[in-house]
Amino acid sequence: MKLSMRFKIFLRSFFLQTGWNYMKYQNLGLTFVMLPFLKETYKDDRDALPSVLQRYLEIFNTQPVMASFCFGALAKQEEAVAHAESLTKFKEKVTEWSSIKKGLSITTASIGDRLFWGTLKPLTLLISLFALLMLGVNFFEPVLPASVPLVYALFAGGLAFCVFNAIALFVKWEGIKISYNADENSCFGLTRFDWNKTIYNAKRFGIVLAVGMLLFGVYHYLKDFENIDVHFVTRAAIVLFCVIVSFVTRKLRIPNMYLYLATVVVLNLVCYL
Amino acid sequence: MTPEIFALCAFAAALELDTTYALQLTFSRGIIAAPLMALLTGDIVAGIQVGVFTELLFADISPLGGILPPSAVVCAAVSLALNALGIELYFAFFFGVVGAILFSLVERLMRKSRFKRLVFWEQQIIKNPNAVNRAVLLALVTSFLMNFILIFIFTWLCGSFMLWLLPHIPAQAHMACRFAYMTVPWIGLATLVPAFRLKTR
Repeated sequence: MKLSMRFKIFLRSFFLQTGWNYMKYQNLGLTFVMLPFLKETYKDDRDALPSVLQRYLEIFNTQPVMASFCFGALAKQEEAVAHAESLTKFKEKVTEWSSIKKGLSITTASIGDRLFWGTLKPLTLLISLFALLMLGVNFFEPVLPASVPLVYALFAGGLAFCVFNAIALFVKWEGIKISYNADENSCFGLTRFDWNKTIYNAKRFGIVLAVGMLLFGVYHYLKDFENIDVHFVTRAAIVLFCVIVSFVTRKLRIPNMYLYLATVVVLNLVCYL
Repeated sequence: MTPEIFALCAFAAALELDTTYALQLTFSRGIIAAPLMALLTGDIVAGIQVGVFTELLFADISPLGGILPPSAVVCAAVSLALNALGIELYFAFFFGVVGAILFSLVERLMRKSRFKRLVFWEQQIIKNPNAVNRAVLLALVTSFLMNFILIFIFTWLCGSFMLWLLPHIPAQAHMACRFAYMTVPWIGLATLVPAFRLKTR
């Protein structure tokens, strides 16, 4: 694949989820991403394009970053379809194309969801929170200092942005090339990276950061109080109660936001009574 | 409604596109979006706090499959807009969370309603492949407009209601909401610890 074509697919891949719908998910997005490649492949046989597009407009759903592996693999297989020597071969290749599309989208979605949404997003959040604490912004306190330099806010957010996107954009860009050049024996280049080990190591790092952050919060909480008074005990009791309840609500799969809304209602009732 | 609030709603509507429809470069994350939006209201401290709290509160819901998490951008935008109108952050954040939940419900309806247009666009694309570019552009524009209208209307309604209600709110309600607001980072962090456990459910 030419570099210019790879770049076009890369740029268009940022709009994979535009037109997302509950019927065929990212089908419009996939067609949009692959259109320049299809035009190039079928430039001498424009009449074939409608039937080709029908295949791309079928159901497709995967994780947006890892989708690049699907683009490369589908492009490679599309070339095989376009250059099929006989009708039997053509049908074979089309069936293979459909299998790749279905199988690879599920595999990449599974890896991408665990790596990017399940691990990297919370991990970069923790890195960013640590940066804020190191800069002296104690977000555990309801009342922050009167002014915080703008650069602190941008640095913390920028750190999360840069770490996440450095990895995501690398995977997005390289995924197209790797999957295009790889074959199905290497699962279209997916086996080139040890995803499980990466996720495992990132989660180990994340759990250390999360526990460290909780301890940091406790330290800040204790540090600010010189005497153990009613205010100290009340705050500690409310926080501890909410943390314990959050473990229970997590087991019951109730999102935190509902716990927060319930806390507002309950505390209002308690205050009135 | 000041021009700053109007600009904030428009900026939030654009940032919200990053969640699903365009880019996915994490501009729509609370910790990034809120300080950026705070540049418009001028309260950077509020921006940092709302950003951190929003991220931590919504950290337990990921956009896996068809799951639609509450919008961090809407939560941050509504909170910062109400705060800029003179409403305390602990009240504003409550409305921000409610707004984010309502927005995700409306967004789900919008995605369902897209079924009807999908068949039309598929036919157009098969006839003329370049129609896919128009379909994508139209989807982006309509999403932006819907985001803007929803954020603006919700902010305006909540702002008007709270400005009317604020003088009548008793001290107990202030204390209760402040305490509830204070628990947000702790609830969020307590959720992040099991989120990193090595054994998946």
